[in-house]
Amino acid sequence: MNVLLLFLAKEWRDIRSNSRVLPVYLILPLVAVLIPVLFAVALPEMLRVGQAKGDPGILLMIRAVQAMPEFAGKALDKAMTQYMLRNAAALFLLMPVAISSTAAAFSVVGEKQQRTLEPILATPITDRQFLLGKLLAALVPTVAVTWGAAAIDVLLVDALTWSRFGGPVLPDRFWVLGVLVLAPLTGAAVVLVTMRYSARSTDPQAAVQHTALMTLPGFLLLLGVFGKLLTVSFTAAWGACLLVAAISLWLFRGNVRTFRREEILTRWK
Amino acid sequence: MISARGLTRAFDGTIAVEHLSFDVPDGKLCALLGPNGAGKTTTVRMLLGLIGPTAGTARVAGHELSRGPEANHALRGVCGLLTEAPGFYDRMSAWDNLLFFGRLYGLGDGVLKPRLQHYLKQMELWDRRDGLVGEFSKGMKQRLAIIRALFHDPKVVFLDEPTSGLDPEAALAVRELILRLKSEGRTILVCTHNLDEAERLADLIGIMRRRLLAFGTIADLRAGAGGGSGSAVRITLTSGAAEHAAALAQLPFVHDPQPTGAIIACRVDDPTADVPRVVAWLVGRGAGVLEVRPAADSLETIYLQHVRGDA
Repeated sequence: MNVLLLFLAKEWRDIRSNSRVLPVYLILPLVAVLIPVLFAVALPEMLRVGQAKGDPGILLMIRAVQAMPEFAGKALDKAMTQYMLRNAAALFLLMPVAISSTAAAFSVVGEKQQRTLEPILATPITDRQFLLGKLLAALVPTVAVTWGAAAIDVLLVDALTWSRFGGPVLPDRFWVLGVLVLAPLTGAAVVLVTMRYSARSTDPQAAVQHTALMTLPGFLLLLGVFGKLLTVSFTAAWGACLLVAAISLWLFRGNVRTFRREEILTRWK
Repeated sequence: MISARGLTRAFDGTIAVEHLSFDVPDGKLCALLGPNGAGKTTTVRMLLGLIGPTAGTARVAGHELSRGPEANHALRGVCGLLTEAPGFYDRMSAWDNLLFFGRLYGLGDGVLKPRLQHYLKQMELWDRRDGLVGEFSKGMKQRLAIIRALFHDPKVVFLDEPTSGLDPEAALAVRELILRLKSEGRTILVCTHNLDEAERLADLIGIMRRRLLAFGTIADLRAGAGGGSGSAVRITLTSGAAEHAAALAQLPFVHDPQPTGAIIACRVDDPTADVPRVVAWLVGRGAGVLEVRPAADSLETIYLQHVRGDA
């Protein structure tokens, strides 16, 4: 087996055998599936009531959606559903970030705590292989769960709305790009930041907290400022993917450059 | 072969290992002795290329120690390491743990699995191979860690405190295994506090506290060639050992005379010349000398002599 996949296989086994970790991999995906389904089912009624009452929030959203060229000519009900589901894809962006950070926090400091780091570093693997293996181990299960939840979401939403719209509302191209490309890349960026803290920390909890402090405010701010743009401009969505890919690459190179075997082996007790 | 020349390591200006030079020929077992913090583990880590030396060089199993984060992979591939703490994944089985580490060494399953089977049977762990390591005793984990140090058939094996914390039976099993490894022609460096173990196992003994205080065979160390001073002698008297021992201390070529019952244990500079002089001197004082014979210093005596002398 490829050395890089060894850490992934071990992580996968850990997840399956650890009853305390497993819920983390189930609860958030369940929420990410249910919220879009609720949107899809309840939106027509929400629109009807909102319009009847003259709810300014609903009316503003309707005007915004009607102004988008890609929804021109579509029934309001379908356009609004598609737009809301596209926004709900943010949940799938959050999933890799939220779930993988725990695994990433343990990636180096966890090995040290279990006293397995020195035997690993005593093998012929390189720092790059070790760090890439750890990145894959933290990221791949989360991405797999994210994609699995997204697939279930598509099936459920389309099954529940098919009779109403006479065809599928999911996935659309924004949704596909967000879930298949941007979500894994964002997850990778956060995992890499967490791994860097993990390599410097003596406590996995501290690594998680540091990462949350460093990444979540920025992530939410970016989503707040540019989130709307990402659901309107496909070019902007691609741009975001390329930007996060570049950041991830830069972070990985930085992690390899700053990984100090000696310091980790000799300073940590 | 392990060959170190002037190996030195400092941490933030504090010297942990200073100018270490020694050779361990192929197939020999060297025991590295020293108090806690003497630099034994640092030495092993340097020889394995896990940490770089501040100065000096070393050659291990034909590989020159090189510097940099991406260096020494080939060296690590032909060396085995038993770390001070076994270090396994508690929630994984013994078999899966060993497979994981074996694959990190790049061993294919076709080679690795039969070897694991061989060593697990040899270590009497075959029946427990599917058990979780977290449920293993310390002795079992230590045996598992020894398998990990061996399954890639290393030429050089570093064993850091191999019997530390083991019960006498488990420690004996590990010692027997180390002897088996030696008989297979592997070069072995053992770090230990267990002097009896070192005396029983080692071809070469190094006593270190930051620097190498003595190095050689046990016979070299006893003869003082490894850095000790004088030869030990046991003199059995008919009576008055305490009184004569106190008097012996006046002689410049007699060192540290210690009476125990009717015996005086002391050291002399040159046994051939000094023993007859001591006997004549004692007889001259009216002592009844029953027997004089060379007394082999225990390794403990030699060790303490060096370590205390360095304090």
